[in-house]
Amino acid sequence: MTNLEKMLVTLDPRDENDHGPALLAPRPSTLNGKTLGLLSNNKPHSEELLRMIAAIMKEMYDIKGTVEYNKGSHQWPASSEALKEFAAKCDVAIHATAE
Amino acid sequence: MTSQNLTSLQHQFAGWEQAQEYYVEANLTDGLPIVPPSEDRVRAMLEFAGLPPDQVIGVEEIRQKHITAEKVAINAVMAGCRPEYFPVVVSAVAACCEQSFNLHASSTSTNGVTVLVLVSGGYAQEIGMNSSTGVMGPSNQANATIGRAVNLVKTNFYGSLPQEMDNSTFGHPGKYSFCFAENLDAGNWPSLAVDKGFDGGSSTVTVVAAYSPLQVSVYGGKDPGSFLAGVAHAMIGLGPSISEVLVVLSPEVMQYVNEAGWSRQQVQEFLWEKAQLPAREWIAWRRVEHPENFTDQDQLVGCVADPSRITVVAAGGAAGVYIDVIGSWGNSRSVTRKIEVRS
Repeated sequence: MTNLEKMLVTLDPRDENDHGPALLAPRPSTLNGKTLGLLSNNKPHSEELLRMIAAIMKEMYDIKGTVEYNKGSHQWPASSEALKEFAAKCDVAIHATAE
Repeated sequence: MTSQNLTSLQHQFAGWEQAQEYYVEANLTDGLPIVPPSEDRVRAMLEFAGLPPDQVIGVEEIRQKHITAEKVAINAVMAGCRPEYFPVVVSAVAACCEQSFNLHASSTSTNGVTVLVLVSGGYAQEIGMNSSTGVMGPSNQANATIGRAVNLVKTNFYGSLPQEMDNSTFGHPGKYSFCFAENLDAGNWPSLAVDKGFDGGSSTVTVVAAYSPLQVSVYGGKDPGSFLAGVAHAMIGLGPSISEVLVVLSPEVMQYVNEAGWSRQQVQEFLWEKAQLPAREWIAWRRVEHPENFTDQDQLVGCVADPSRITVVAAGGAAGVYIDVIGSWGNSRSVTRKIEVRS
């Protein structure tokens, strides 16, 4: 019997086509003059939290303006069409959850 | 036996203990030892079900996971399944991939639900599943390992690992395994498989994104119109934000329901009607996420949206007048699929 025959050979249960976590989007060099998107998942107070963050960011940077989008449910992803429309209206976006 | 090559990454070990150590260290188990998934064992699963290894059992759309028969078989071997259990595991995994089940959100939520696997029809008996005493408990190999296999597919292949993608606050004991069979000897209703529209010879698997079971004791008579009110009371405890309720009647309760001539639909309608409260009460009990959505606070709001979202089955042992109430998570809908067994 060869050494290989004595070995216990098993198979891997994982998804070998997994591409790992999604990569970060390219970052702008500055937030000055940018439109800030606020993406809510409809959890209670998520919009309030996002607006508080936007207010702080406006003090720190020369933010051009804000646009808001509530995706309607934290249990489902936003539709790609809605996300494309939202992305077209802003330069950067913040997504937040809250309770 | 299928001659098609298995393509999964191979590992080599000097022995059983080294293999156990690797799988535990690599977070590929639920913390319990596994059966090392050798090629022979995996092939035996595929052979029994007549599935080529590259056949896609289901596609989960959000994470774009294409779950193949080979990977389901590897996880089923690891869970301790016998080959004859594999068709049930395959159908359960396929059911989890249907969009309405919402596998992604239900397996990542802080809520902590598990995949409950409910088997209906003659195949459960053929493979020796428990539908009687201790139905939701340990000791039956089929119940224990089918449920475990589905959970291992979810963690190992789908990636919903506890403390990583699975962020449930409390977890759920059923994340080890939560699987049982309908008790077809209890009562005179058609099987759940038939009730869901499958023919009488079919066996089915139903998956539910399940919270913990809540056991209700029944006192004071055999009139369903009386004791089912207590079940509705328990359902109210689940709140108005759940998607569905699975109500499991013990055989003795089932006998009372049959003696009174109640159909499954009557039980569903009765429970739905009684498990309603005015919106203001739900709000006062802090059970509503968005109270601002209720313009009329006197409006009656049900525990679930309509009677069809209450599934009623018999299971369990002869002794005991109990009913188990199991809520399902968020917007996840239970999914029932036929178990395909090669003749």
